[in-house]
Amino acid sequence: MKALMSLGALIGVAGILLLGGMVFDIVPSTTVRLVEGYMPIQMIVEVACYVVGFAGLSYILNAMGMAIPRFWQGIGFWVFFLMYLKFRVYPPIPFSVRAMYGTVALVTVFMWISANEEDWKKFKQPIMNVLDAQTGANRLLRYAYLVLIPILVGGFSFNAMMPKSEEPIELRTVHPAPPASTKVHGKTYVLQTSQNPYRVNPEGKYDQEFSNANIVEQSMGRLMKPNANPWDDKNQGYLKYVREGGEIFFQNCHFCHGDNLNGRGLHAFAFNPIPANFTDPGTIAQLQETFIFWRVSKGGIGLPNEGFPWASVMPPWEQHLTVDEIWKVILFEYWHTGYYPRTWD
Amino acid sequence: MGPLTSKRVFSVVALCMMVGLLLLPVVVALPSLANGEEVSAGDAAKKDGEKVEKGRDVYYKTEGIVVGAPAPVTTDGPKDYPRYNFESRVLLWFANQQHLYYGSFVLAVPIFCMIIEFMGVVTKDKALAKRYDQLAYDFIKISLTAYSLTAILGGILIFTFLTLYPAFFSYLSGIFRPVMHIYALMFVAESGTLYIYYYGWDKMREGFLKWIHLSMSVILNIIGTLLMFLANSWIGFMMSPAGVDEQGRYLGNIWHVIHTALWNPLNLHRILGNMAFGGGVVAAYAAYKFLAAKTDEDRAHYDWMGYIAMALGVAFLIPLPFAGYWLMREVYAYRQQMGITLMGGLLAWLFIIQATMIGILFLSTNYYLWQAMGRMRGAEKYQRYIKYLVFLLASGFIVFITPHTMVMTPAELKAMGGQQHPVLGNYGVMSAKNGGINVIITTTVLSFVWYMRGNKVSTVSWAKFGNIFMGVFFFFAYINIIFLAIYGYYIPANVRVGLSVPQVATTLSCLFFMFALNSFMMKGAKQMGAIEWGKISARSQYALIMLATAFTWMMGLMGYIRSSVRLFWHVNEIMRDNSPWAYTHTVGFAANMISFNVLFFWITILFVFWLGSLAAKKVPVEAKAGIPGSVPQPATSH
Repeated sequence: MKALMSLGALIGVAGILLLGGMVFDIVPSTTVRLVEGYMPIQMIVEVACYVVGFAGLSYILNAMGMAIPRFWQGIGFWVFFLMYLKFRVYPPIPFSVRAMYGTVALVTVFMWISANEEDWKKFKQPIMNVLDAQTGANRLLRYAYLVLIPILVGGFSFNAMMPKSEEPIELRTVHPAPPASTKVHGKTYVLQTSQNPYRVNPEGKYDQEFSNANIVEQSMGRLMKPNANPWDDKNQGYLKYVREGGEIFFQNCHFCHGDNLNGRGLHAFAFNPIPANFTDPGTIAQLQETFIFWRVSKGGIGLPNEGFPWASVMPPWEQHLTVDEIWKVILFEYWHTGYYPRTWD
Repeated sequence: MGPLTSKRVFSVVALCMMVGLLLLPVVVALPSLANGEEVSAGDAAKKDGEKVEKGRDVYYKTEGIVVGAPAPVTTDGPKDYPRYNFESRVLLWFANQQHLYYGSFVLAVPIFCMIIEFMGVVTKDKALAKRYDQLAYDFIKISLTAYSLTAILGGILIFTFLTLYPAFFSYLSGIFRPVMHIYALMFVAESGTLYIYYYGWDKMREGFLKWIHLSMSVILNIIGTLLMFLANSWIGFMMSPAGVDEQGRYLGNIWHVIHTALWNPLNLHRILGNMAFGGGVVAAYAAYKFLAAKTDEDRAHYDWMGYIAMALGVAFLIPLPFAGYWLMREVYAYRQQMGITLMGGLLAWLFIIQATMIGILFLSTNYYLWQAMGRMRGAEKYQRYIKYLVFLLASGFIVFITPHTMVMTPAELKAMGGQQHPVLGNYGVMSAKNGGINVIITTTVLSFVWYMRGNKVSTVSWAKFGNIFMGVFFFFAYINIIFLAIYGYYIPANVRVGLSVPQVATTLSCLFFMFALNSFMMKGAKQMGAIEWGKISARSQYALIMLATAFTWMMGLMGYIRSSVRLFWHVNEIMRDNSPWAYTHTVGFAANMISFNVLFFWITILFVFWLGSLAAKKVPVEAKAGIPGSVPQPATSH
């Protein structure tokens, strides 16, 4: 048990040093890389390691007679978590999300330190000592708080009320609800039931399973599957349409959406927000093909009221592409990212 | 025939007659339903020699004879939208919400009474049986005053509809005309049964009559549930209309109008929600009484009452997210844009608030259970592991509340390099969220298991094996839930939706198997000490109050979301809302309005509690016999 806890303590110390280095900019936050595709679970595992590490450290310090008071354990862990979110995770997390996470951490730390009466008493003790002010140091502290807390509150209020020159916060709806149907080149498409006419098997019938078996692999690198290379001239049917969609994409779309479809094209950074990242599981992977068809056809100006503010400069592609070309480019996007379009059956 | 037998026969006959009389109005009304308007309208048309006009059902796609008027095309003016110098929608919102709160409460509490009374009847321990009986009586007493308030609020709601939305209400009542009076008559049946059930409590306290009394609670709850189903059919119709043609003309089949695409998911969701809400309110009542108690005896009684109410409420809270998931699935299946408006579009931020409230509910429950372990000796051994449960809960919670659409300044957006965050973006989708909530629920189950074995040591020969088995079971449950959450990113969406089934199955397996195994292991277990009812921290009682407040707030929120998703429709795609208030409120306004409704409900329910306490002063002294705390209580009573 002791050996296990010592190992935990080592992890805890190493973790604190690493995070400290990141906070003071001695160690770049990319020292331990967040691996693309594994980042979300990596973050949780890292925090879990810290929790185990801190438990080990606390155990060892306790055994050495140098126990950290419960009060500082609670406060310390909460501060650590805030620092972790701010300095470890990249790209930077917006303040609103950090505030949500920070509040959850504060509540759960409270749950931990007050889970039983003994711990709660230990936690409260330093606060009660300052409030009771039985010693000179505590009395001094009490006066200091009496002065500092109003100043801090006043400072926060001033800061909150002070007019700022930065752009206001936007609660933008990334995926506004689509209409029930859309009219493109004179034909009405019902979004709930329409299908991509080029997602077909060798027999020419609509077949998602067939196309799903031929998209790139989702694992590291997004590699093409053997015998599923659309740029092979001999290919017919689905893969041929993917190639044609790819040609349209590189002639029209990649300037903004990027040649890796990750929203980082040549012109991407002229816009804010930058164009949609199709490789993210929160974009096309969440949507029906018909949704994409509607968005591509109608562009930024075709967004409904719900999509306000309409921060999209995508042109209405129905003015430049045929219906077939739009369906093919969508086919290519799903093929290239390795995602399956959403279906409801 | 002896006197006892004749008394029994008389009781059964009396009960049957009572049920028969109460249901008579409903039965009388049924033939007109069975014949339907279809036939009479058809006959009338034939008599007049007119051509019968047929319409196509917008949902069922069947043909039917048009028997109703089209949905009115309203215009903004005093005819269709008469108003006070105030936003009519907000007035209706307030009246509706208050009626719903009380309606939910009075439907849920009799179900609790039925369960608790049944537990009292089947329990062999006489002292415990008496306590259960008294508890059930306390519950129904609270609901009786609330019942009157429900009726009053129902009247206010109807007047609000009639005065502020006459065209819409006239159309809706025209569509539901065949069942409108059944609804009203069932209300009479519900009231009658409730009053007999309450006032007959003492007369029917012993023996066979007790069973008759218990049967009445079953009848009461059947009527109450049917009432709710009927009320649900109206909101189901407004969201996903059926039984009418494209112009909104009734086609003569009332079953189609009632049985809309969302009716059954709404029914299930509301039953579970009402139960969880009712449990929360009663638990808060007990917490309030506990905190105000002057004697140890009272503290012990209300501590126990709070625990039972909390346990019942949470028992229905656990399956609630799964019922909600089914409802959302059906919403998406019915109209994709409705689903996206709810969960990915306009109302998505309200869902994040909802996720936060769900998280608070489970966190409060866990916190209460950990606190409750403090009143039993021997539970200390679990205390040092609580921090790991906290970590699991926090991780699940953080994932569960991560928004898909983040609020940020343009500068933050630029620094992030796009709308999608590579780490947090993955938490914002359903696959991760399903994992998050299942981790939270499984951890809650684990807390319950720890609580149930807190002061006991298993004495069965296979105790060691049992403990290891339980540990391994929970470990692999977590692994399975997290694995499926990750795997969900690599498969098509329609398969991913199906992954929720094994995830839920894993969580429910933990619930049922581990509870059962734990019960077997703890049979004849060595007691480390009695449960010292009343010796629980005040923090635990605040957790119960937090639980109830979160329930109330969440009900208000979800009701608003469900109603708002129709956007500018009174009846989705059939009858347009042309009032000046056909826009969606801002998140801030909605949150303030919900908070106001919650506050108002709690102020009025405090009044109800106060009325209950006035009556309690008249309760004979012997009714309080057996209240825990006066003597050491058996540890098996949780």
